[in-house]
Amino acid sequence: MKIIKTLALGLTVAAATQMTHAADTGFDMQTVDPEADRIALQKYFKSRFPESDIADYVNGIYAVDAGSREQWEELEEFPPYEFDVEQGEELFNTAFANGKGYADCFENGGIGIRQNFPYWSKEEGTVKTLEQEINECRVNNGEEPLKWGKGAIAQISAYMAWTSRDKVFDIKIPADDERAKAAYLDGKKFFYAKRGQLNLSCANCHVQGSNIAIRADLPSPQLGHVTHFPVFRSKWGSLGTLHRRYSGCHKDSRSKPLKPQAEEFRNLEYFQSYMSNGLVANGPGSRK
Amino acid sequence: MRKLTTSLCAAGVLAMFSAAPAVADNHADQIALGKAVYMGKSRGNCISCHAIDDPDANLAGNQGPPTISMKARYPDKSKLRAQVWDASKNNPLTIMPPLGKHWILSEEEIDAVVEYIYQF
Amino acid sequence: MKKGLIIAAALAMAPTLATAASFQEAFESNRAMHGNDHVFEWKGGKYHTNHEEEMEARVKATKANAADLLAKAKAKNAEVAKLGFEWKLTGGILKDAQKAIDEGDYQKALNLAAQAKYHARIGIQQYHYAQKNWHLSVPE
Repeated sequence: MKIIKTLALGLTVAAATQMTHAADTGFDMQTVDPEADRIALQKYFKSRFPESDIADYVNGIYAVDAGSREQWEELEEFPPYEFDVEQGEELFNTAFANGKGYADCFENGGIGIRQNFPYWSKEEGTVKTLEQEINECRVNNGEEPLKWGKGAIAQISAYMAWTSRDKVFDIKIPADDERAKAAYLDGKKFFYAKRGQLNLSCANCHVQGSNIAIRADLPSPQLGHVTHFPVFRSKWGSLGTLHRRYSGCHKDSRSKPLKPQAEEFRNLEYFQSYMSNGLVANGPGSRK
Repeated sequence: MRKLTTSLCAAGVLAMFSAAPAVADNHADQIALGKAVYMGKSRGNCISCHAIDDPDANLAGNQGPPTISMKARYPDKSKLRAQVWDASKNNPLTIMPPLGKHWILSEEEIDAVVEYIYQF
Repeated sequence: MKKGLIIAAALAMAPTLATAASFQEAFESNRAMHGNDHVFEWKGGKYHTNHEEEMEARVKATKANAADLLAKAKAKNAEVAKLGFEWKLTGGILKDAQKAIDEGDYQKALNLAAQAKYHARIGIQQYHYAQKNWHLSVPE
């Protein structure tokens, strides 16, 4: 009985794989079209999971798997990241030795701006992430940079996300700078290319394989991936940044993992965040 | 043809020069190795995607089809071996890792896991 | 011999082998079906299914030979690292190979170096394949 049921599911997977067959545009600098990508991705998930609202994808796997949603909603009633947000607020408001603070480094005093990250910096010719600017703020004011993956940087980021809840993601790819488009394309390519000894792309699990069990885990859909970061993961037992998760995923493909804030990861974040345009910021989040 | 010698699990380089152990013991050992490969997280970890009707298999995933009716699906066992060795040959987009081609498992482990699943 | 008979039978029963377009394809399909140390025919010649690295490990197990293959493996891994496609375990295998040399187990060192070099070579292949085919899984 159980076997037959899983067999039916297996067939669904085969059908789903069919749908992802190649488009013939959008894969080089001449043809890449971020807005078409974003719409195509929404369309893909709409057809995979017709019951789920696009807006709900900020809730990750719980947008498409009713079974685990209930448990998660209970968890969110007493969110495991609450302490981190409080700590983050305190850190955010603690002045540096020179009397300045994080509020001096960001637009609008750093409040309600999470949805604008990452962004393309024309001056520096690179993608800038929120965590990167938190550390730059420190260094520019004579403080030591924080470690990227967890701890204080994740807490500060969590507080900044908290003040931005329900703001709509609006990542821009400036038309007047080809390098921005190139960074987006690079991130897209990173997402879809198979790599590592296990020969896995991000898409293997998070597009085709989303909501299909790998042992007892259900991979989340890529749509809405970034909106809830930083995240408190039960598996970690702590709060972590998006790039901590990227390193972990990269390693899971048995690639030698890149370090957080590597250019490839920032470009990946740029691509993924653009895919979440139109969705709201809801970080920090909690996940299994 | 290829005698599985679990004691020589490294690269099988010496396999052709070594004498074959007694057939019955060898086969039982091979099945046991195959099962360990199927279930082992840092080995084949086949169970993470393929359900199998083995009482020791729990919480199997379903990214791939269940391991069932293998003899009917693969009358030619070497075709099954080839599928385990590199599933991306037939489906370049597959999530299944190329266990042989990427030397994730040794050739002996692949032989063993094929023997193990061929019972189901 | 038994082995020869089975090869003959496999060849007779597998017409796909005859249509294999390139040596590389014939090699891979035979390795996939039969593992290492298997002999197959291709366009009238006889070939074995061993990787070039496995053959490189079949030298006299001396310190010099092991060190030589390890150096080659390291160079290959540096090549794939430059492309951003280095695999996770290769660095550890290279270290284990060095350790085996230090402990005087030269055959073990040769085998490990061969595996690391193979991993690096296939990683390079994977990189080139990805450049051409990454778009195949993008939803349209």
